[in-house]
Amino acid sequence: MLASWRRLSPMARREALEAYLALSPWLLGFTLFTVMPIAVSIFLSFTQWTIIEQPIWIGADNYVRMFTRDPLFWQALKVTGSFVLISLPLKLVLGLALALLLNNRLPGMNFFRTVFYIPAVISGVAVSLMWMWLLQPDTGVVNTLLDAVGVKGPNWFWDKDWALPSVALMSIWKVGGSAIIYLAGLQNIPAQLYEAAEIDGAGKWGRFWRITIPLLTPTIFFQLIIEMIDSFKVFTEAFVITQGGPLKSTYFYMLYFYEEAFRNFNMGYASALALFLTLIILATTIFINYTSKRWVYYESE
Amino acid sequence: MWYRSRKISLVLFALLMLIPFGAVTLAQDVVTIEWWTVSSEEYSEEVQRALVDQFNAEHPNIQVNITVLPESGFTERMTATLGAGSGAPDVAFFWDNNWFPQALDLTAYIEADPDLDPSTYFEGFWNTRSVWQDKIVGLPLGVGANFVMYNKDVFDEMGVAYPSPDWTTEDYIATATTLTDPDKRRWGGDRPRGPFRAIWRNYGAFPYSDDSTTVEGYLNSDASVAAYTWLWDLVASNVTPTPADIEILGTEGTGPIDLFLAGRLAMATLNQGHVLTAVESGVNFGIVPEPQIPGNERYANAWSLTASVWAGTEHPDEAYEWLSYWVGPEGQQFLMQNGHLFPSIPAVLETHPDADKDYVQAFFAVLEQRQVAEWVNAHPCNGTVLRAAVDAWDLVNLGEIGRDDIKATLDSLVEPAQQALDECVARLGA
Repeated sequence: MLASWRRLSPMARREALEAYLALSPWLLGFTLFTVMPIAVSIFLSFTQWTIIEQPIWIGADNYVRMFTRDPLFWQALKVTGSFVLISLPLKLVLGLALALLLNNRLPGMNFFRTVFYIPAVISGVAVSLMWMWLLQPDTGVVNTLLDAVGVKGPNWFWDKDWALPSVALMSIWKVGGSAIIYLAGLQNIPAQLYEAAEIDGAGKWGRFWRITIPLLTPTIFFQLIIEMIDSFKVFTEAFVITQGGPLKSTYFYMLYFYEEAFRNFNMGYASALALFLTLIILATTIFINYTSKRWVYYESE
Repeated sequence: MWYRSRKISLVLFALLMLIPFGAVTLAQDVVTIEWWTVSSEEYSEEVQRALVDQFNAEHPNIQVNITVLPESGFTERMTATLGAGSGAPDVAFFWDNNWFPQALDLTAYIEADPDLDPSTYFEGFWNTRSVWQDKIVGLPLGVGANFVMYNKDVFDEMGVAYPSPDWTTEDYIATATTLTDPDKRRWGGDRPRGPFRAIWRNYGAFPYSDDSTTVEGYLNSDASVAAYTWLWDLVASNVTPTPADIEILGTEGTGPIDLFLAGRLAMATLNQGHVLTAVESGVNFGIVPEPQIPGNERYANAWSLTASVWAGTEHPDEAYEWLSYWVGPEGQQFLMQNGHLFPSIPAVLETHPDADKDYVQAFFAVLEQRQVAEWVNAHPCNGTVLRAAVDAWDLVNLGEIGRDDIKATLDSLVEPAQQALDECVARLGA
């Protein structure tokens, strides 16, 4: 590094120094608030720490416990994995469907775009409370409407079989946020491609599959990564509404992490849980990124 | 002449220079105590500031600097600050037992204080909230407890006698059944919201052995099975709201009080804060302790908040001075008269403006019972093991298991509970 520094001209060295100087606030912030907490968290995951007293080094015991002696860890992992598998495809598909609707050139479309985006900016706690009311079994709007058409609605959050789908339903309601990103992607697709395809006799379906989807794959790729991370981190809904119940059917990984860290004062174990989740997300991201070479098409390619 | 005036100028200059040092010396005589607190229904920010003003006026050498924090984030902030080892307040609520290692041992202070006598506090609250590992780590501020509130108008309408303080768990189901009226969408009573609170303890059930080594024979004991069976019978009687009915009406445990005030719940297990709400709403109500099991010792789910001095304080004497004022007779009297606090000192509590009312007398009687918290506080792993007990409670509460399956269900939970206990004891001690 020193040799390459020496090879630089005085002007290039000055430019490099100025660049680092300009970057230094970010670098400092990144080191202090991202790198150091991660490093400390890695260290803590090998300790037993009640926060109040000094950490005690216990080697890999937290990880051994996690994989061999902790049924709650597996339950939290199972629930979170199920939630990702249920909600992620639905959010991707429904977000795209909504974006296609919002992409129509109709009067007042900006109003609808705004309305659909609103759920994405409302506080998670407020949304949770609202859904608690909507899905209340006796007096909630949803079951009242179902009742009106002769269908007996389920107990939603208060039924062990329906609680997880209910949380997934809540998360799907917020697809307006991803629809706006899809919309930006849709509007970047050159109109002449559709015109050319139409001249060649392609129907709507054909244009969708052969032009829209391929040219939208970079946006889908981005959404897949972001929504996947978001799904793994689900917490507020369970914390506010179900507290992980009934019968641990919504005992999400982040809720377990929170309880270990801040209710049981088991910060060492919580750090190990957090690191394991980071590894899962990292591995999934790398896998998606790896497969993207086969299905993501950029306009320049 | 010139020399003389120059000399005078130098003396004046020197005196001027000394003024700031003098000021510093004076300032050092006044010690500032940082106090973190929360605002609540029992003591609003305004009332607490008035108490501080009164203290500051009476103690010119101590200035208390009050910081009122939102209750929701108080625990996290205190935990982080105490964990950091610096920047914690001199005096604060130490309401989490895990913070006690960082509380100043007040034993010597209290022994030397002629104005503060531990025996003047409710014994149960002193034992559960002040004494920890043979040290006095704080003073108990205020008292609270669960009890059953009943709507007298509903009882009168149905021609049912009011429950007596010595009623039993079987009486509870029978009374709730009589009071239930589906046409009026009214339930007779509610369900206990968690295992191993007063009723479970009244049955004689414990989650594990007193020496924190064994779950087998405790979580699945005959007493525990009897407690869960009683819950099963209560659920099956269809005279109580479902968990959904309760939860939907509030996330802060307000569901039962809302139903109770609306006349849809004839009996509900509530607390002294709800009593104030019921009084304001003009509901005609009475109070009885949670039902008992004949022949067994009777418990109450009661609580108080520990107020402590941080062990890292630079001004322990002044911090104790403020703490003993705030949580002593004077402070609690002030918070009772100007707010809604129920003091933890019986002599002060007896001067409560409503002390002559029946429901307040009934509340006082509950405060004299043994407390669930005695065992819970002495067993730091209680919460970890209760996760398993909650599973069984959920299964019963949701109608997922039959009455005859209770024993087998509890048996199946022994192993995970034992694992949780072993892990926790290694970490937090027995």
